[in-house]
Amino acid sequence: MIRYIPLAAIFGIIWCFVHGTFSLVSFIFGLLIGLLAIRPFRFLYRPEMNFRLFSPPNRIVSIIRYFMVLIKEIIKANIAVAKIVTKPKINISPGIIAVPIRCKTDLSITGIANTITLTPGTITVDISDDHSTLYVHCIDASDPAAICASIRDDLEKYVLEAFE
Amino acid sequence: MISLLDFSLIFMVLAFIPCMYRIIKGPTVPDRVVAVDAMTTVIIVMLGAYSYDKGSVFFMDVALVLAVISFVGTVTISKYLDEGVVL
Amino acid sequence: MSGISVFINMIMNILSDIVLLIGLIFVFLGMLGLIRLPDVYNRLHTTAKIGTLGAFGVMLSILMRAGFAPIGIKAIAVGLFLLLTAPIAAHMITRAAHRHGVGLCKESIIDEYGEARER
Repeated sequence: MIRYIPLAAIFGIIWCFVHGTFSLVSFIFGLLIGLLAIRPFRFLYRPEMNFRLFSPPNRIVSIIRYFMVLIKEIIKANIAVAKIVTKPKINISPGIIAVPIRCKTDLSITGIANTITLTPGTITVDISDDHSTLYVHCIDASDPAAICASIRDDLEKYVLEAFE
Repeated sequence: MISLLDFSLIFMVLAFIPCMYRIIKGPTVPDRVVAVDAMTTVIIVMLGAYSYDKGSVFFMDVALVLAVISFVGTVTISKYLDEGVVL
Repeated sequence: MSGISVFINMIMNILSDIVLLIGLIFVFLGMLGLIRLPDVYNRLHTTAKIGTLGAFGVMLSILMRAGFAPIGIKAIAVGLFLLLTAPIAAHMITRAAHRHGVGLCKESIIDEYGEARER
């Protein structure tokens, strides 16, 4: 049961957000409810999964830099797509292209897929069976090599630093 | 003088029209699912503006539950379209 | 002392009004893309990105106006939840549409996912 305390602490923080007050009483109340809620579903948490609450300090710097890049890319994406929508005549050439990735672990693959979805003009469709290629729908697919290069150099570098 | 709440509610009602058009007209099932998901976002924004203006917290709870239900509904319909079964 | 706090309060009110207007315009543009773009994949580009960021902006303006009162914290919880789940929902519905047999629009120039699935 002691193994589930870090997970229950996450439930406690979520309970603080949903309840609307940040206080010790509501945090401990959420932690107890979290323990009760985890108990019927404990087969979902594999015992070999080592859950670290505190990452090493150099990792934290990379994670903060990754989130800065993510916020910048989200704002750029919104302006780019808003420009396409407000043009009087829509002239696009969409398509689905295959992008090779270097990430290996599940967490970093999830991170790169969500980052691709939030960046300008691309949405992740699927991953190949051997976890080496992402299929990405682009709103402007006239130059697949340039899109692969921009994903590899601008985004995947930060994801590899932060999550691997 | 038109207040900010009236302006935002009128603007969001205008944003409702494309969603309704796409739900009624949409050629395929995924089009309709996307339109329902977008309509939920508009309703959440409306609830947020109204809740702020009236100073009541309870509409915010409704918005949170609506966001959760929208996400679960979209994932469920996608799994049904994909594999034919839900669980 | 009170003069400075009144000044900061006024600045925050004006900033939250600006963020609210930006969020409303982004939500409206997202819904406009739902009616203008040709097929389901391109429509997802607008609703999954612009609509979500617009809703997050509205929730952020409520937080800026109300401070750390319960209404502000609940608003930012709704915004973070939307920002976290929108990419997952977009990915699921895109994959389901492609496997269900919804073709790409006629302007499309390349489809490597369909080729990979036929093999």
